[in-house]
Amino acid sequence: MANHRADEKRFLDERGSGGPLAPNGLNPATIMEKPVRERIIDCYFWKDQCFALNEADIVDRVVVHVKFIGGTYGDAQRPSPFLCLAFKLLQLGPSDDILREYLDFGGEKFKYLRALACFYIRLTRQAKNVYNLLEPYLEDRRKLKRKTRMGTALTFIDQFVDDLLTKERVCATTLWKMPKREILEDLEVLEPRISPLGDIEDLLESDVEEMDGKGRDK
Amino acid sequence: MQHLRAIGQTGEVQRATASEVRERIERVWEALEEERQQDVKSLGERLKVRQV
Amino acid sequence: RNWDDEEDDVDDVDDTDDLDPESEYAAWKLRELRRIKREREAIEGREKELEEIERRKGLTEEERK
Repeated sequence: MANHRADEKRFLDERGSGGPLAPNGLNPATIMEKPVRERIIDCYFWKDQCFALNEADIVDRVVVHVKFIGGTYGDAQRPSPFLCLAFKLLQLGPSDDILREYLDFGGEKFKYLRALACFYIRLTRQAKNVYNLLEPYLEDRRKLKRKTRMGTALTFIDQFVDDLLTKERVCATTLWKMPKREILEDLEVLEPRISPLGDIEDLLESDVEEMDGKGRDK
Repeated sequence: MQHLRAIGQTGEVQRATASEVRERIERVWEALEEERQQDVKSLGERLKVRQV
Repeated sequence: RNWDDEEDDVDDVDDTDDLDPESEYAAWKLRELRRIKREREAIEGREKELEEIERRKGLTEEERK
């Protein structure tokens, strides 16, 4: 299929009626909760900026309009542009090739594009791929602004990725229950993760040394 | 509205390939770099100009 | 244009990177160490759980009561 529908009508009509499923088996139209979906398609940003977009236009929209991550924010629980564009991705269903461009080539340049791709991958990909695609960015310490109902806070890409891998709810969305890393290691689906900091035993040792006041100059 | 012209009568929009996505990333990055140097218009205005 | 009218909040935070690369690295390192510690504890917890299952398997009916 070379075209997308410009609006969301068919996407939403396909709810539960055999539209294409995401790679993790979920129906993309119902991954976000109903009240959130309704807030999104009602909001001005969605109507004005998310109509007739394709996978490349997503890049422009993120760069121009995504200044923070978050689900719904403020007293009005307004859906963030970040959340609206995640919903648009659920509608577009971009391929893995495209996601790699968002994550890597685009993600180096635009941190909010990387954050958006990480969020979308967590919602739609199988556990093994989620871990493999997201974990490299536990090394990305760039700052992200995050808005919630409570206000604005600072977070980081690595922290956001960690939230996606370990928390149940992120950005107004209940994440599907993914098997824990150690379970997938036991099943030999995943190799143990190697931290960019190196071997754990060495680290613990060097920490002890630092505490002893010997420092790193040994 | 300008996007109505872009999608024509069919209500459909053409999918982008991975290489088109990469080109877009490059283009947006360059536009942003230019803006940093010139600081004349906002990126939003620039992208609008390019879309027409 | 009501989607970005809150951009100049009073409580706004600055997300500019590399203002102080050294302390930003140090803060990341601390977060990473906490994650490693948490993962390590999870693995240890799981090993203990498996040991316990094995131990119970080894018991006779009588001992299990």
